[in-house]
Amino acid sequence: MLFCLLTSSLPALAAGKISVVATTPDLASLAREVGGDLIETVALTQSSNDPEAFQPRPADVIKLKSAQLVVRVGADFDLWLDRLLSQAGNANLMKGAVGYVDTSAGVALVEVSAASLGTSGHAHGAGNPHYWLDPHNAEAITGSILEGLARIDPSHGRRYESQRNAFLSSLGERLKTWEARLAPLRGVSVIAYHNAWPYFARRFRLNVVDYIEPKPGIPPSPAHLARLLGRMKDEHIRIVLKDPFESPRIPDMLASRAAGAVVVLAPTVGAVKQADDYIGLFDYNVDALAQAWAARR
Amino acid sequence: MSDIFSFMFYPFAAALLLTGIHTYLGIHVLRRNIIFVDLALAQISALGATVAFMLGHAPQSAGAYGYALTFTLAGAVLLTLSRGWGGRVSQETFVGVIYVVSAAAAFLLVDKAPQGAEHIKQLLVGSLLTVDSHDLVRLALLYGAVGAFHWLFRKRFLAVSFEPDAARRQGARLWLWDFLFYASFGVVVTSSVAVGGVLLVFSFLIIPAAIGALYFTRIAARLAAGWLMGTLASSLGLGASFAWDLPTGAAMVCAFGAMLLVSALVKPLITAPRSLKKTVARGFVAMGAVAVAAVLALSSLWLMIKPRADHPVLDLMEASLPAVRMAFLSRAEIELMNDASRDAEHYRQEAQKLNGMERDSRWHGAELSDYELQRLSSYTKSFQEMRNGELFVQKEMRNKARERQSWALGIPVLAVSLAVLGIVWPLRRRSP
Repeated sequence: MLFCLLTSSLPALAAGKISVVATTPDLASLAREVGGDLIETVALTQSSNDPEAFQPRPADVIKLKSAQLVVRVGADFDLWLDRLLSQAGNANLMKGAVGYVDTSAGVALVEVSAASLGTSGHAHGAGNPHYWLDPHNAEAITGSILEGLARIDPSHGRRYESQRNAFLSSLGERLKTWEARLAPLRGVSVIAYHNAWPYFARRFRLNVVDYIEPKPGIPPSPAHLARLLGRMKDEHIRIVLKDPFESPRIPDMLASRAAGAVVVLAPTVGAVKQADDYIGLFDYNVDALAQAWAARR
Repeated sequence: MSDIFSFMFYPFAAALLLTGIHTYLGIHVLRRNIIFVDLALAQISALGATVAFMLGHAPQSAGAYGYALTFTLAGAVLLTLSRGWGGRVSQETFVGVIYVVSAAAAFLLVDKAPQGAEHIKQLLVGSLLTVDSHDLVRLALLYGAVGAFHWLFRKRFLAVSFEPDAARRQGARLWLWDFLFYASFGVVVTSSVAVGGVLLVFSFLIIPAAIGALYFTRIAARLAAGWLMGTLASSLGLGASFAWDLPTGAAMVCAFGAMLLVSALVKPLITAPRSLKKTVARGFVAMGAVAVAAVLALSSLWLMIKPRADHPVLDLMEASLPAVRMAFLSRAEIELMNDASRDAEHYRQEAQKLNGMERDSRWHGAELSDYELQRLSSYTKSFQEMRNGELFVQKEMRNKARERQSWALGIPVLAVSLAVLGIVWPLRRRSP
């Protein structure tokens, strides 16, 4: 099996392409926009799985051994990468080395906290890690990726830069249409399953008032659900956001009792079939929200 | 209020149905000594549902149910055969192996499926809260049918569970009734796990039946006691879940556990003959005193060995009686501590205010630019750091007090608790 995996990564080397490993399909999609056909990109987490609950497998170590660039979300989102990197032992990919890119570096994070651990005063102020869900942050993310690619492949620096600029200008155009489509939802209150949408909300001016699971993974109490339902009725909240991995049972129950609608939004590229790249992700999400809003009772 | 009622009615009714059928099945399971059979059957049926899911059947469709049922029946056949293998190894061994292997196989399958992790989680914790009228009717019909079937053939079912050897000698087809038992059991568990999750269904199955077995030998009496205690535990668990804002399934499992603990503890008091009741009660008080004295003796020893470590008993005392700590601090130190706690609260509020501002700016008023957001975040962080500093001061003061308490409080408490132990221990031995 090991042999098969090794040989499967050979074509990339043979064609002289830069081998890039991203932790999520979103970063892989953005890396492809910058690198074009000069790079070969794989994402470690599959779109069908929740990337925060990812369980690495042996093949991932092999991918990292032969990679030249690793691109991660950071902000404590993909902590599992640290162990994978030390197992792979690829010196070029270690934190601070030429092939290491943490795209959270240039992003303004929300909900940062100075969580001092014990008395040592060591602070790690992670913040909410779902920052790729604001298209505006693609500028900072692709900026970090561009820097990384130019570091390991300086001869193509110009080309990476122009590919990134081309992508950003078409993304900028799309962003205008998205904002126009979601203009009717500005200031609209919604309920979300998890606190995964603050950046999306900030860009499109949604008011996420509460969550079904305030603590991810802990089932909500009946008192919390009764409060949510009361709020939905009193404040005429019509929309419950969930992602395709989250159980539909509680969102469905709330929506049916409060005459609302459950809107399934894709948190990552590939989470739904239509969201096949970074722009497709927002095309799908904006469409789903706008349609649900137009069809509200 | 109507919301509360509408939220709790269906879950409570479902809990009653679950208690009804599982207490009865639990009596069989306890007797057969195959405690984890429900986990094994639930897991096999989940494996079937997963296979259906992978083949493109929607969850809760007829196709999915068909696969789950087929797998469950296959599991029933395996369990039926395992009685014959049970000579050298207990039957529970096979039950465990079936559980572990089908759980792992389901993991391998859902690894490739969307909602895989959610699927596994759902199996564990269920979602009793989202039961609606359709679910309730379905459960009532299914459990009613299985219950009626068992009532009709009660003699056979009880014979193969309670006196298998006698039943065999009388020419009963043991394997057939074993299979029917496991098959009907599997059908019940498949539905109930989808509603309540594995943890809760296990509690419904084992705990009321165990309480019944603790107090009675007759089946009818065990059943009545189990139903009563199961209903009580369900009400307490659901009530606690609502009143204290707790996840429902976990709260109910803990309520069932507490019910078993209390039932076991008070059993000697209830079952003792009238003439001995006083002696038993005295024994209880003595045992309680021994337990309290032992805990106090150990924690005072721990306080003398490591005054800066965690001391939960002392924390509890200080929380209800602040003087226990204050007596060991100077006036200036107490002032410092009060200042620190006031400032910590102030910084917490400031940080919260900034967070609230940021949250509001997402959807109304002026948008924050990235630069403004970063500045605001850095202020938030500073407030949080300052709060941590104040918490550190409080902790230092606590440690100072602890070092002084170490001997001054440790030696007398140890002496008193040892004295209590010395007096009460012999009393305990005289009680039955």
